Amino acid sequence: MYKHQNSQGSGSFSWVFQRVTGLILVVVMIGHYILMHYTPESGHTYDAVLSRMQSNWYRVLDLTFLVLGMYHGLNGVWGIFRDYKLKPWQTITVMSLLIVLGLAFTLWGVKTILDIPYVQTTTGELLVK
Amino acid sequence: MSEFKKFDQKNWVKTNLNYKKDPGSWAWILHRITGIALIAYLFMHIFSLSPLSQGRAAFNEFMSHYTTPFFMALEWILFAFVLFHSLNGVRIVLVDWADGARYHKALYRYSIVIGLVMFFAMGYVMFSHEIHNLFK
Repeated sequence: MYKHQNSQGSGSFSWVFQRVTGLILVVVMIGHYILMHYTPESGHTYDAVLSRMQSNWYRVLDLTFLVLGMYHGLNGVWGIFRDYKLKPWQTITVMSLLIVLGLAFTLWGVKTILDIPYVQTTTGELLVK
Repeated sequence: MSEFKKFDQKNWVKTNLNYKKDPGSWAWILHRITGIALIAYLFMHIFSLSPLSQGRAAFNEFMSHYTTPFFMALEWILFAFVLFHSLNGVRIVLVDWADGARYHKALYRYSIVIGLVMFFAMGYVMFSHEIHNLFK
């Protein structure tokens, strides 16, 4: 009786995953805020970013944050559109836009993170160009 | 069987504004608004950090625009959006998974108190230099 109709799936996976990614994002967000704590000298210069990014943990953290944030955000936007009973052509347009924009910006962000050079010597000093 | 009102796609803003709202309805509306703002911010954030690939001079030049008081005020507002979305998001998860329907109104009140405290604490951290200069 309550089985979903007229759609490919029930959406229960994205419903659960929205909550799971949301909880992970809250935790990562707290870390992000503590590390970046919003004062002018808390590491917003190129050298500060460079020295942080010598650690692969930082890179993995930032990549996780980027990918999960993008998924959670775009899935949320899609959820909003789903509430308003779109016509098929509107569904296709919105879905395509979200996927193309999401992929493009995620790849741009991943490229920005991975492009940061490794310049640390064995003594821990930075060989900055 | 009761009649279903046909969904009126053209007047959805009016439909949303007109029904009677409990605090939970406002939480739902604000969750959407803050969510849209945050995903828009993520796109801008990816754009604004992309000069990292162009080396030190380009990046530092770019970042100098974002450390002005105007942008710091915007960042404080951004923090308010993050706070609301996080606290209300936790509330949603508790309602869904931890029997939160029994205590969601209390959760809402606690969230507001916690949120306001954290908002002003962050304001102090962000503008600590300015505040210290005022009372020198």
